[in-house]
Amino acid sequence: MAKTACRHKWLMTNVRSGYLVIEGCFHCRNRISFFSEEPVPPIDDYQEGEHFWSHLADYQASKFDLKCEKCGQEVPLKEVMATMLCMRCNPECGVYQAGSQDRGRKTWVYVALCANTSHATGRCITAEGIRALNEYFNSGFQDPAKKIIVVPCHLRKSVDTCQGIVLADVGLTELY
Amino acid sequence: MKVSEIAAKTGLKSFNEVGDKDVKSVYISDMVSDIIGIQEGNLLITLQTHKNLIAAANLVDVAAVVFSRGKIPAEDVIALANKAGIRLLGYDGDTWTLAKKLYESGVR
Repeated sequence: MAKTACRHKWLMTNVRSGYLVIEGCFHCRNRISFFSEEPVPPIDDYQEGEHFWSHLADYQASKFDLKCEKCGQEVPLKEVMATMLCMRCNPECGVYQAGSQDRGRKTWVYVALCANTSHATGRCITAEGIRALNEYFNSGFQDPAKKIIVVPCHLRKSVDTCQGIVLADVGLTELY
Repeated sequence: MKVSEIAAKTGLKSFNEVGDKDVKSVYISDMVSDIIGIQEGNLLITLQTHKNLIAAANLVDVAAVVFSRGKIPAEDVIALANKAGIRLLGYDGDTWTLAKKLYESGVR
């Protein structure tokens, strides 16, 4: 079967456990994130060119790729750091508007978050990755009216005011 | 088996009355990053009562969430679950005891 003709049935593959680490540059105020598979997430400050990166937060998280069980096609999702549920906080936000195009009551918009949080370089999740995530998360619902829309994070208007819920394990490694 | 049937058989209390879905399997986890890999239709047993968990449960279309050890979700968590049509249940005992009760009730 040609790969382009396949009605993909995606499965998670290459599942890795680690930490979603978020850093900020106090010089340019950009933020970046990366996935660390180290036993303990890195927290040291460092300089990289004009940037002075400082640790802001880390959460236990997992990463995965998708593989079609029918045709064997693999979609690497190395640029996807986490997923976030849109809480529809700002009508001017591109994520809000992505959900507004499909006004079904059971439509939920999730944002695939890339490493380039401030999008200073202009890069984000690939269209192939977004397409595969949409197909994966929309397969097999009991309620046929339910729909998940996954969008890339460059549509988000502001990382500072966004009220979305990030699907990460907040606080599990903290002691009080 | 429906969520309501399982709740009645095992004495689970309800925090809301939405979404009486079919339960296809049971999954026990306290990590959001773990839950996003499960199949739809699971009865999810957990200790976590925060909104992140509901966001993940909605994404993977769980049949219902059971909070063990007497954990009680906050009002905003229940509100999000209601919007997502996710039934929230509670069990006062520990997760292992609940797992045994579910098995004895015919849940496989």
